[in-house]
Amino acid sequence: MNDLAAVQTRELGKRYGSKWALRDCTLDIPAGSVTALVGPNGAGKTTLLQLAIGLTKPTAGEVCVLGRSPRDEADSVLPRVGFVAQDHPLHRRFSVAETLKLGRNLNPAWDDDYALDRIGRLGLPLKQKIGELSGGQQAQVALTLALAKRPELLLLDEPVAALDPLARREFLNALMEVVSETELTVVLSSHIVTDLERVCDHILILSQGRTQLVAQIEDVVASHRLLTGPRSDPDAVARVHQVIRESHTERQTTLLVRANGHVYDSCWQIHEVDLEEIVLAYLGYGGSADGTPNRVREAVAG
Amino acid sequence: MTWVAWRLQRTETLIMAAVLALLAALLIPTGIQMASAYHHDGMAACVVANPSPNCGNVIGNFTARFEPLRNATVWLTLLPGLIGASLAAPLVLDLEHGTHRLDWTQSITRRRWLAGKIGMAVGAALLVTLALTLLLTWWRTPFVKLNGRIDPAEYDAQGIVAYGYTLFALGLAMAIGVVWRRAVAAVVVAFLGYFGLRLFVDIWLRQRLISPVTKTWSSSTRGPDLNHSWVLNQTPSDKFGNAVAVTPEPCGSAPVPKPGGPRLECFSTHGAGYQHAVYHPASHFWALQSIETALFAGSALLLMAFAAWWTHQRTA
Repeated sequence: MNDLAAVQTRELGKRYGSKWALRDCTLDIPAGSVTALVGPNGAGKTTLLQLAIGLTKPTAGEVCVLGRSPRDEADSVLPRVGFVAQDHPLHRRFSVAETLKLGRNLNPAWDDDYALDRIGRLGLPLKQKIGELSGGQQAQVALTLALAKRPELLLLDEPVAALDPLARREFLNALMEVVSETELTVVLSSHIVTDLERVCDHILILSQGRTQLVAQIEDVVASHRLLTGPRSDPDAVARVHQVIRESHTERQTTLLVRANGHVYDSCWQIHEVDLEEIVLAYLGYGGSADGTPNRVREAVAG
Repeated sequence: MTWVAWRLQRTETLIMAAVLALLAALLIPTGIQMASAYHHDGMAACVVANPSPNCGNVIGNFTARFEPLRNATVWLTLLPGLIGASLAAPLVLDLEHGTHRLDWTQSITRRRWLAGKIGMAVGAALLVTLALTLLLTWWRTPFVKLNGRIDPAEYDAQGIVAYGYTLFALGLAMAIGVVWRRAVAAVVVAFLGYFGLRLFVDIWLRQRLISPVTKTWSSSTRGPDLNHSWVLNQTPSDKFGNAVAVTPEPCGSAPVPKPGGPRLECFSTHGAGYQHAVYHPASHFWALQSIETALFAGSALLLMAFAAWWTHQRTA
């Protein structure tokens, strides 16, 4: 398999009972990238990350992390991958110091100086019980635990979802700092798109258990355009470009397209769009450019 | 992993140690009292093969004084179940709170994690049971000398069965807990399961583990040492061992006569004249203990293997 892929999946699928949480997922996350894994709740983000760290077994297909199977070769994968689960589970009765001791005991490459330094900079007292820390502080401790393991790949499942805006900002700043200092590959899932652009260089959009898009954020923003014009059928545009979302009012049609080269068409007014808008379009909902809410293809029939 | 497992097992282990300490605080004073009474009353001379004539009184006094206490301590046989079930709680709590996912995403494999958790629980359970067994065995020494350790009231606090009981309760709570992922519920259900199984074993199974000895002897001879045996059935009989249903009227309905007593002659003249007994002699003690311990510990192993397999394969 490709040496440059930190995470590689081939037709990966996971079924719980009769429901597929993830299906036909084929993707490569390049080493050294910081990838935002976005999608609505229930899109399969958590499942994908849990498959990557070996917490669950695939029902179909395969997943390869740093060139190995996380489930069958846990011995060699686990020490190289840091993982922070969505609810960042920590032993609540442990003190901060004991939590670090756990890290020291369970990880061969544990960097104690780094962990202590990081906790010190966060201003967390070592004797404090985990259960007495705020949600943001707990998330920071969990991140410290994952980082002091000195991983090559860091998987973060909704690390900021439970945090207030200030804690969210602090957490992402800390993450950016780490990323700028090291060669770390990061995959970060979120259902909030704001802020991600600041931290991530790649984006992976999951919806309804399937991959919708994997690309560099720069390219994504550069290649997507919002077209507005008089009400018309988008077929002509769709022949050249990929129409992600179309919405219609009585007199106007709005298209969000992934442009295949430049859009030459005088019928349309062409606007740039921001990442959030693009993501929302891929997820199948969101507002149009003028702010009026629209459902995808809702107006076509009417 | 050892430190992590111990840190998580610590609270429950210390609670059990505290329960034992409390029990020791209650039992040690009475134990000393009993031992000294045993010594002063000259009981030692009464548990030999040929007791002196006033031994009936001596034993009677001692028994009257301490029997209620002894009967109360019979309930302590439930303690191994409590110890075992409680010490399974840390494993189940990890699964209940999702903190197993923290451990599993460090550099340690599930196999080693399970070995550490289960091993620590087993170690703690065995140590606490050792302390309990030592305490109870010491406390009950006078009664063991009097009635033998195979006596049903003594048997389960002697020897090695208690380790089997504890391990079984531990395994049962683990097996229920890893599936159910509710620590308190798993502990309670496992304890009830333990209680039920103990009832079944004590009342029905144990006496059938090996064949008891059957013996018929003339009432005028001494007969086997039933005082230090576990008597399943003893009746006056004819010389072929057929039970004589009714105790001869003039001899009263009091218990079976002791050799040499006046009621024996009454028995002889009224037709029974023989004693028939089905019993486990003292020599069966270790055979019974070994088989019963193997049954409980073997089931415990299977339950723990199931718990480990389930956690390894099914848990995310």
